[in-house]
Amino acid sequence: MGGIWELISGLTKNEIPSPRDTWLVFKEVMQNPMQDDPDYKGIGIKLLSSLKRVGIGFGLGSLIAIPVGMLMGSSKILMNIINPMVQILRPVSPLAWFPLGLAIFQDSPQASIFMIFICSLWPTLINTAFGVAHIPQDHKNVSKAFGFSIWKNITKIVLPYTLPHILTGLRLSIGVAWMVIVAGEMLSGGMGLGYFVWEEGFNGGSVAKIIVAIIIIGIVGLILDKIFMALQKKFSYAI
Amino acid sequence: MSILTTELETTEIKSTSDIARLRPVFNTGKSIEINNVTVSFNTSKGTYTAVQDISLSVKKGEIISLIGHSGCGKSTLMGTISGMVKQTSGAVMVNGNLVTKPGPDRGIVFQNYSLLPWLSVYQNIYQAVDSAIKYKTTAEKKKLVENNLKMVKLWEHKDKLPGQLSGGMKQRVAIARAFAINPSVLLLDEPFGALDALTKSSMHIELLKLWNLDNREKTIVMVTHDIEEAIFLSDRVVVMNNGPAATIKEIVDVPIPRPRNKKDIVHNEAYMTIHDKLLNLLIDKFSIEDID
Repeated sequence: MGGIWELISGLTKNEIPSPRDTWLVFKEVMQNPMQDDPDYKGIGIKLLSSLKRVGIGFGLGSLIAIPVGMLMGSSKILMNIINPMVQILRPVSPLAWFPLGLAIFQDSPQASIFMIFICSLWPTLINTAFGVAHIPQDHKNVSKAFGFSIWKNITKIVLPYTLPHILTGLRLSIGVAWMVIVAGEMLSGGMGLGYFVWEEGFNGGSVAKIIVAIIIIGIVGLILDKIFMALQKKFSYAI
Repeated sequence: MSILTTELETTEIKSTSDIARLRPVFNTGKSIEINNVTVSFNTSKGTYTAVQDISLSVKKGEIISLIGHSGCGKSTLMGTISGMVKQTSGAVMVNGNLVTKPGPDRGIVFQNYSLLPWLSVYQNIYQAVDSAIKYKTTAEKKKLVENNLKMVKLWEHKDKLPGQLSGGMKQRVAIARAFAINPSVLLLDEPFGALDALTKSSMHIELLKLWNLDNREKTIVMVTHDIEEAIFLSDRVVVMNNGPAATIKEIVDVPIPRPRNKKDIVHNEAYMTIHDKLLNLLIDKFSIEDID
């Protein structure tokens, strides 16, 4: 891969910096990552700021998506009512929600969180609904045959069966959310990795910094994905 | 009898609830009574009648098998006894009470074990006991689970998940679960169908052993495809016609004395006659010469 990079770098006459040049910039960026001065914030601080916004938006989104998904999955009537709304809102680019968020909150970071919130909803909601709607008849038979109470039905059958589906949804949602925050920060300005890409990388004329940011974003995204994958593995049961 | 009359003499009847308390349970000695039961389903293609106008009585402590070809409605019929299936017309009484839904007086063993895969063996039984039996303390419920698991010799495996058990072990857990709620009627829907022949054979003995430990008081109804299994276990074998709108073809008595022995029974005259009879009732092709 390094070889291809060198090749591309040469082809663009070093518009796209070579791996070696990028590495130098990388080291420079990684100095004092947690420095938190008013005029200079380290890359670590920027990363944490992005993660914080993702965390809040994703957390709120999941808090709504999971119960609504469960309601949708458990009742055909509710499914038929809510599903059309989901199908219409889902294809909308998160970036289109950003101006709406700005109009509502009059505040850039909050609008970003709003954007993350909206786009985190759909994968979690759809997967949760699917899980609840597809509980095997065998499990439902146990509940009926032994007279499980509603509470016991939810805690001992619905939730355990649906949990892997919920985790799949969460994993997809966090992937989308992480992608969206970078784009959103480019629009909103302020702090964060997305802003770093735009301001210091593009406006600052340093393509190397853009590439460095890409690498960091990619690695963090991978780590987030792996965390949810591990959670998924932990909660899948052999039948 | 004298205690009963004394109670009636000294108790003043002041209200209908007094009468309700003193009303005797209409005990005809029948554990299960199926009266003119028809079960129909609404499908996209119209009404499908699974069983038509079936009547059957089962005495307390009797073991009966429902046998027939696939799709003949045996599981549906048993569903009306367990309460998992609602009949379209007719009534089913268990111990004098009308069946409307499942209850702790009827234990069910499903064909696919239906153990919850995320609960341990212990928890699978405990949750069933906890739900079905309202009037016992936690300590009593725990004791029930322990006793029944020990009865099926799976106490050492109590913390395992179903995925870690063999088919035979899973079915033993399912049976322990049904026994644990101490039902008066046990309903087994092809419980050994998924097991290999050797495991199946030992499960027959285990089931009869459990039934004996309870003084043969539990009524057992079993759905099966297996003729040998039906004869070995049952007092009567109910042969059903093919569906749809299935009815009872014939009820065959199995007057072989208990305890029955797997090796000896095949040489028993009565066994051989019954076996032949059932074969004739169920199978029409006996060799390649029967196919034109």
